[in-house]
Amino acid sequence: MHAIRQRIRNVLRGNGDRNATRLQRRRALGTLIWSRLPELRLLLLLVGFAWILLIPSPLLGQSTFIDENALHPGQVNTYWNWGDVHQADLYLAQLEQLRDQNATSKQIAAHVSEEFRKLGIPSATQDYVYQTSQESYNGTNAYAVFSSPRGSGAEATLISAPWLSHTEDALNLRGVATVLALAAFLKGYSLWAKDFIFVISSGQLDGMQAFITTYYGEEPSNLIAEPLTLPSGVIWVALNIDYPGHSFSHLGIFFEGINGRLPNQDLHNSVQLISRHTGGVPVVLYDHLDPRDQPWREAELSIIPSWVPASLKKMSFVQEYAYRAKNLVRHVGYQARGKASGVHGLLHRFRIDAITLYAVPATGPHGFHAIGRIMESSLRTINNLLERLHASFFFYLLVNATTFLKIGFFLPAAIILSVAMMFSGLYEWINAAWYKTVVPRSEEKTETTELTWVERPRPVLDALLVIGATHTAGVGLFYFITLPAVVVNHRIISPVLFIISLLLPLAALPLFKQTSPGASPLWQVLKAFNLCLASTVVSVTCVLNFSLACTTAATLSIPLIFSSPSTSLPLKVVKYAFYMLLGFGWMVFATEEVRSAIWHWELMGIWFAPFICIVYTPLVLQAALVSILPL
Amino acid sequence: MDNFKFEVVFPALILGRFLLALAPLPDSLKHDHQLTSPLTAYPRLQEGLYLFSQGIDPYSGGIFRHSPLYLAIFSTAIPLTKLTTAFLWTASDAVSAWALVRIWRARQRLSSSSRDALIATLYLINPYTFLPTLALSSSTFENTLLLLSVMFASEGQTSPSLLALAFLSQLSLHGMLLLVPVLLLLITDPISHLAAPRPFSASFKTLAFPAGEFFVYFSVLTFVSTLVCGSWAWVEQSWGAMVLLPDLTPNVGLWWYFFTEMFDHFRPFFLMVFSVHLLIYVLPLCIKFQHDMLYVVFLMAGVLATFKPYPTLSDPGLFLSMISLFPETYPHLRHPLVTALLHLHSALLLPLFHHLWLSQGTGNANFFYASTLVFGMSNGAALLDSVWSGLRVAVGRVPDGLEVVQE
Repeated sequence: MHAIRQRIRNVLRGNGDRNATRLQRRRALGTLIWSRLPELRLLLLLVGFAWILLIPSPLLGQSTFIDENALHPGQVNTYWNWGDVHQADLYLAQLEQLRDQNATSKQIAAHVSEEFRKLGIPSATQDYVYQTSQESYNGTNAYAVFSSPRGSGAEATLISAPWLSHTEDALNLRGVATVLALAAFLKGYSLWAKDFIFVISSGQLDGMQAFITTYYGEEPSNLIAEPLTLPSGVIWVALNIDYPGHSFSHLGIFFEGINGRLPNQDLHNSVQLISRHTGGVPVVLYDHLDPRDQPWREAELSIIPSWVPASLKKMSFVQEYAYRAKNLVRHVGYQARGKASGVHGLLHRFRIDAITLYAVPATGPHGFHAIGRIMESSLRTINNLLERLHASFFFYLLVNATTFLKIGFFLPAAIILSVAMMFSGLYEWINAAWYKTVVPRSEEKTETTELTWVERPRPVLDALLVIGATHTAGVGLFYFITLPAVVVNHRIISPVLFIISLLLPLAALPLFKQTSPGASPLWQVLKAFNLCLASTVVSVTCVLNFSLACTTAATLSIPLIFSSPSTSLPLKVVKYAFYMLLGFGWMVFATEEVRSAIWHWELMGIWFAPFICIVYTPLVLQAALVSILPL
Repeated sequence: MDNFKFEVVFPALILGRFLLALAPLPDSLKHDHQLTSPLTAYPRLQEGLYLFSQGIDPYSGGIFRHSPLYLAIFSTAIPLTKLTTAFLWTASDAVSAWALVRIWRARQRLSSSSRDALIATLYLINPYTFLPTLALSSSTFENTLLLLSVMFASEGQTSPSLLALAFLSQLSLHGMLLLVPVLLLLITDPISHLAAPRPFSASFKTLAFPAGEFFVYFSVLTFVSTLVCGSWAWVEQSWGAMVLLPDLTPNVGLWWYFFTEMFDHFRPFFLMVFSVHLLIYVLPLCIKFQHDMLYVVFLMAGVLATFKPYPTLSDPGLFLSMISLFPETYPHLRHPLVTALLHLHSALLLPLFHHLWLSQGTGNANFFYASTLVFGMSNGAALLDSVWSGLRVAVGRVPDGLEVVQE
């Protein structure tokens, strides 16, 4: 036994001096990592991008499940019946009349409020005016508060329908009629433990934004809204109905909130189960019908390009991959830009878990009967809650209505890319401190010279000043493009601004000329800091908004890692133009997106626009500077 | 930075800071868990002052844990208004920065240097120090008193130094941990001996008088506090809190989460372990760095910033700003970029996870705790690297192919 231990010790420690072996081992490890770092970096990039491509694959993901035991979804008998459907039809007829009369928002709100009052539910209206730099919005919300027969009124559930449907240019008449008929129906039962707040909001997003910010007393300065007169409790859960068509075939669920916040997954899972088992309505994400269920509409629904050979197209793996990818792309489109995918998303800010139930328009077979039953059963489930939804996941990727990815399965994609950037930054940082030079051997006084590594100082403060200046310029840029005068004349000013941004760094170039002799070149330290900063931004944003972090990582990792100055002028120009297009191209090539982002910032405080101006663009600008700084 | 004159930069920065303090800032800043602790929060100070003015014992409720000296000053001499608070807290930072510059000058035996502006700037624009000041956290005053005490000690002025230290120990009991290094600094000199260590030469006998002087100051201040308060109740509420940790409001330190998770019968034991843990650094540091007591004070600031029961961001802020006093150690730092990146990560993660837990509701306490661990790691990395480089200065540049080993 002792001999074995001795042998192991010999292998680990060697026979010589303990410290010497330790140092040798450390040096060997250091040399190994250092010499393999470029390959390691490439490997990390490869793995990171492969992981991103792997996310939609059917190999990953697990079935959704209910985590909160109190919910008991779909365990109750529902009482919503054809009489209630008739009631909804009557409300619908009135609403259609209002539509045909081209009624104003005020008239509609007055009518809806009056209908609530006829039911014996206290109701009121709320006028509001929103001032954004592009236009002003005004409208009138109608809302009613049904006090719970069994609770203290400390908690409430919000049921809403906006007047305009979110996805198409249609009116959400049936959604509003459902809410009214539901109010009449819910009042007949004494088992409710939480207040119901019914909101018929004007417009698409602006009405609900006015209502909910007033409700929580956090009105933005550009909103003038009437105070709410009917009090209720803290809202825990909200369901929003969007039913634009005549009938529907599937129930679509929209769940993304502003600034990338997602509702607790239990809410989605409960509604999904209830819809399938109580309502008999299949559930999809968004309005994405599965092309495999509707072979006759495959060309319209599938995202598999036409050039893919038919044999591949028929493989179930490919079909599932394509369907999941379609859902994910839609999700990233909402989350990365911080947009709400419906009225529900505005509520997330106040810790309300909310989703939109979207009745995917079709010629049948479902209508008021199905949606009423789904709503009733869902509200019974919500009614069971003793505390806020907290058990299930807040960080997830839903790839289809019943499959999701836990955070551990998607987070590494962005983190690995971020690590690749961090390693490159550290590599560049070490590189900047050393240079190979010819040191004449003075003692021997011979011709032989040898290349040796010599240490040199690094211009840390200069690089930090450049980084500070670029981000400060980003703040200035953001301030400038959100000025009302600039927003209005966006089309004329953007190209001018783009050209100024293109020339300004070139004009500032002479400032960088003077680096102290013997120090490492500025570009090297700047690149090191640039990569470390980008890596930090990605890994920190990950938990807040994965889609944004992942998109940023995928966009920036390769351009930033491979930024370098060059001696030939044409190459310099090409590189500079590339980085400037990457960093500032949005000004001229995505004017509609810019307008929308600014609008979202002004109306809802979505920080996508400031993120781009203050974080993303300066990072790319630093890489652009790296490519034109003297070698 | 060398091009800027200290005489221009210093007043300009202070003016800027004063205007910033006057600006309409969100009230939530004063309640922020990262910028204030239960022992330093401004709203609690206001609460205590109000109770005091109403003739109610402010220490009876468990809300007010400031020293009675604050009650004495703010209820009589200086009423707290928007203007006076902005002035007082900014002035406190200005004095700190000034003291830091004077310490540097004493260490270099210069009457002014080109580095002065840089040192003052690093203290005044360090977000870790100026954000707690904007939040009106009383930790700002503690930093000032510490720096004043060290400044007087470096300049050989015994009584003012000990008085400042006595005041600091009144406000925060952990100031006592600096007593030994400050006393030793008084009988030695602040000049850098890091490159040429030597055995401690001064006579310990000369320590007796200053030590006695400190305890006289300390006792008088304790007595004054009791007079102000009218009873000894303040001792348990204010000093006791630093040892018994009665208030588990989240902060950037490492204690609160540990003790929220603890079974009650282990509590006294771990309170003892955590408190003694702070004590054990004093003597080893004093022995190892016996040639340079100023460096010991700096390292102790780092130890307190990392392991104190109720830290705010100003504690690590003080430690990080003090790094500017020791440029001779920079070439020997092992991983400055890694430390800086750790600090960058934790500075972003702390507010983010705090937001996820308490505002957005998608995270929980573990998120914020995890970020305080990262913060602890970054402070620890800075501290360890400072110890390393402080010792390595003496070895000097190691020729290629050779290594230094400690047996």
